[in-house]
Amino acid sequence: MPPRLFNLFRVSQPIVRPATEISPFLAPCLCTQQRDAHILASLADNPSALHKRIRRGRGPSSGKGKTSGRGHKGQKQHGKVPRGFNGGQTKDEVVHGKRGDHKFSNFSVDMKPLNLYKVQDWIDQGRLDPSKPITIKELRQSRCITNVKDGVKLLAKGSEELKSPLHVVISRASAKAITAIEAAGGSVTTRYYTPFAMRRIMQGKMDPINSLQSQIKQGEEIARKSFYNRLPDPTSRKDIEYYRDPAHRGYLSHLVPEGHGPSLFFKTPGTGKMALRKGSKSKAAAGDNRIW
Amino acid sequence: MATNSLRSSGNSFKRSVTAFTTTRDPLLQCLAPRLSRSMATEVQLPQSEVYSPFTPTILRRPPPPVPNVLATVYSFPHMEPLRFTEYPANQLHLPLRRDILQRAVVYEADGHRGMRTANTKWRSEVHGSSRKIRPQKGTGRARLGDKKSPMLRGGGVAFGPKPRDMSTKLPRKIYDLAWRTALSYRYRRGELIVVQKIADIENEDSRWMEQIMQWNHWGKEDGRSLIVSRRVMPKLYEALNGGKEQPGCGRHGIVKEEADIDVKDLLELGRVVIEKRSLDAILREHSSDLNRRVPSAVRR
Repeated sequence: MPPRLFNLFRVSQPIVRPATEISPFLAPCLCTQQRDAHILASLADNPSALHKRIRRGRGPSSGKGKTSGRGHKGQKQHGKVPRGFNGGQTKDEVVHGKRGDHKFSNFSVDMKPLNLYKVQDWIDQGRLDPSKPITIKELRQSRCITNVKDGVKLLAKGSEELKSPLHVVISRASAKAITAIEAAGGSVTTRYYTPFAMRRIMQGKMDPINSLQSQIKQGEEIARKSFYNRLPDPTSRKDIEYYRDPAHRGYLSHLVPEGHGPSLFFKTPGTGKMALRKGSKSKAAAGDNRIW
Repeated sequence: MATNSLRSSGNSFKRSVTAFTTTRDPLLQCLAPRLSRSMATEVQLPQSEVYSPFTPTILRRPPPPVPNVLATVYSFPHMEPLRFTEYPANQLHLPLRRDILQRAVVYEADGHRGMRTANTKWRSEVHGSSRKIRPQKGTGRARLGDKKSPMLRGGGVAFGPKPRDMSTKLPRKIYDLAWRTALSYRYRRGELIVVQKIADIENEDSRWMEQIMQWNHWGKEDGRSLIVSRRVMPKLYEALNGGKEQPGCGRHGIVKEEADIDVKDLLELGRVVIEKRSLDAILREHSSDLNRRVPSAVRR
């Protein structure tokens, strides 16, 4: 094969490449034009950004040659098998579905942890105002928390850094976090939030603090702003009991009578119907038996 | 010296132009005089040692510790240098990223392809009965179902083209970075010419515009030029882009409206002559990755 003329020309001609260091200095004086390859001709994505397509059934050296990665025989080799198909038996996800209270369960509660050092850091940066109540709305607006699923739990890490008295309204709080905030002169209120409620709060269509069952303190007025949706109260026993507990600083703790426990199922000892009847009966019996 | 001055500028938010002139492209040094004095006002950072309960200190993230770059503003079409203007280095002095530019150019090209309209009918869409056209057995001929089978003449088309959208997606921040990378590439090579205002010419005679292009070394011999005006200028457009016979194919360059240009246009021709307001508008619009506002719940 004769050598290609094009390549011969290229070899015979001296390649003149202007030195990159000096030519820009001289460029305006000499009025010469430096012509590189056009920028649009030399654009390319990073080599690592592209994946080479696997070519199946193209010979043994490709690694995907003989059976093209589909194994031997049967429906799986020749076509498609429905997703979750178990050979005609009941499907695996029906037999062993999502159950219980664990990570993949429908009943688990995914609380976003928020530690006190981060809150203090945000206050120091001027992104949170400690003179106003710090609710989920403020925390999310300032991006102190992100990707909130079911709520936010306040935890006590970095509680020694806490300097400002905070007034926090949040889904849950640990006992240590409550102690630390109250020691600094602040207050904690835990209250019920749903994912829907948090979405609407961020849209400004729901009150971030008060719902129907909230206790409105004397002297405080309910915000006159008409919200589109009302903030929901809990309906499940588990949630109600959490927010009735004064130890959690729950917003429903004002509904619990003095000396009573937060549980809706177990009555406080000495307050049940039987105990009351017993008390009156024994008194009456004592009266009847009295001789004089 | 350069590193020292960079550090000091980072510390005190001082945009030192003297540091910039030492590291700048020599070609541009010929165009712009050395400035010995900082043009920006010096601002001292508030120093607070005593902890006060609430001091909103961070309003915005600090600017990058790179000095601004200078550009000359010319008059159009006389190309009289009027003044210098400053642009942040993250707008007109970005490093060349060929991968980012490639993604933007491909994204635009895909968008231009848009919706492909070729359409055929599958057997269920062909008009006709689904009656079996002959008995299954006994005729001595092949088994057939309905007459819309893709095997038969007049039947549907198997695997034929259907309308589909060829456009692809690109994250907004990458696309905006590509715009500024393209402008930076032009700026560094001295191919970004900022003019004060592009007014319409008096006569749509193409010879006058041709002379202007050749006199400024913008013409065909010098790689042609893209002129970006803020609005459509009918006479200028006709003089440069050609008449109705060859619209958009000017011999010496193309003039386009600001709203019509894209990243590929910026890279295509020899240089970009752009009105300053258009350049500012483009930079303003394509800066979503430069959002330096710190998210805050405190209203200021």
